[in-house]
Amino acid sequence: MIQARRKIGFHLFFKSGFRLIFLTAIFLIGIRWTKGAGYLDVYSILVRPILPGTAQSEWLKEGQNIEKNIRLQILEKDNIRLRRALSLKETHNEEKISAAVISRSSRSWWQYLEINKGAKDGILKGQTVIGPGGLIGLIDSTTLFTSRVRLLTDPGHQVGVWIDRTKRHGILTGMGTNRPKLIFLNKNSLAKIGDAVTTSPASTLLPPNLIIGIVQFIDEKALPTPYAIVQLTASPEAIDWVQVLKDNG
Amino acid sequence: MAKNNKKLLFIFNTIFLPAIIISSPDLLKINGISPCWPVIWLLPFSLKNTPWKSSIASIVLGIFLDSFTISDVSYIPSLFLLSLVWSQYGLHNKKIELYFNIGLMAVFGTAVVGLSIWIQKIMLYSFLRNNWFYSWSIYAFTTEVLITGLVAPFFSSWLLFMYKKN
Repeated sequence: MIQARRKIGFHLFFKSGFRLIFLTAIFLIGIRWTKGAGYLDVYSILVRPILPGTAQSEWLKEGQNIEKNIRLQILEKDNIRLRRALSLKETHNEEKISAAVISRSSRSWWQYLEINKGAKDGILKGQTVIGPGGLIGLIDSTTLFTSRVRLLTDPGHQVGVWIDRTKRHGILTGMGTNRPKLIFLNKNSLAKIGDAVTTSPASTLLPPNLIIGIVQFIDEKALPTPYAIVQLTASPEAIDWVQVLKDNG
Repeated sequence: MAKNNKKLLFIFNTIFLPAIIISSPDLLKINGISPCWPVIWLLPFSLKNTPWKSSIASIVLGIFLDSFTISDVSYIPSLFLLSLVWSQYGLHNKKIELYFNIGLMAVFGTAVVGLSIWIQKIMLYSFLRNNWFYSWSIYAFTTEVLITGLVAPFFSSWLLFMYKKN
């Protein structure tokens, strides 16, 4: 049977070695056009089991933490040296007593924590208690094996603080909630929302520069002096372990 | 039997109640506020005993509780008043075993204790005078009333039952 010349040519092309050349060319054009996407995708799937996983990111974080700790130690040493040069109070980091919270009353009429270290461990009335986030209160009373910590939130509890950015002092007064009131001593507080509130370097009762909280609201027009509402950074409701600073400076 | 009841009461009054006041377990708290345990204890005692005995018990209980607080505010005035009211009520009313009655009396008692503490705090701390009606006081007051009203029918009615048995 006589076939059309064009059909015969096509048949011959697929039957002959030209087919291989044609397919290879198509394949190469495809790879060039997609910039090797197929290869890269297959490669990424194949190497997925041996990729550096969470372990490596943890090593990196650990390394960064070590670096930060070293820098912190250097800065602390500098700070101590400069404070000594200026005859200011110091914080003795090595004299901390860790204690567990054994009873908690952080929202009722009286706001305090009971901790499992007392006079036997060298805890005295008035010592500073810190937790994750900063200052949480002062030792109110001690027994032989326990101590009671009066929280900063307890109504009537007042401590001297300052805002480092403005260098203005104030009295932080507990109002029963996690947002105590900061009553400024100056007519013009210069404070802004977001300012960090710390213990005053001039305080004779507390160690200097302990973080307390962040300013959340300011009323500059209040009489007789302006006041701010401070959000505490440490949450006494969630803290199970605290540290008592044996020497308040 | 009566001897066993006395033992149970003794254990409850001398060990369980102080332990629960000191440890303030989270299980019996609403949003961090415990029931008013002195009210739960004093209510059945006052209902069963004479005003004289109840008032002495309230003062002793008040002194005990004041040692666990951290300011000069005292439980004694409110507990003393409640002991007198409840003992008078108990002397004239015989049908007071109902859970609902006990719960209502505990709610009333907790409200009196809460108001007393609130007023004393306002008198004691000058800065609270300008902020006497702020959220914390209302929160502490209402939550304590609520949780005591829920817990009292169980504990107080059981205590009253035990006192009556002896």
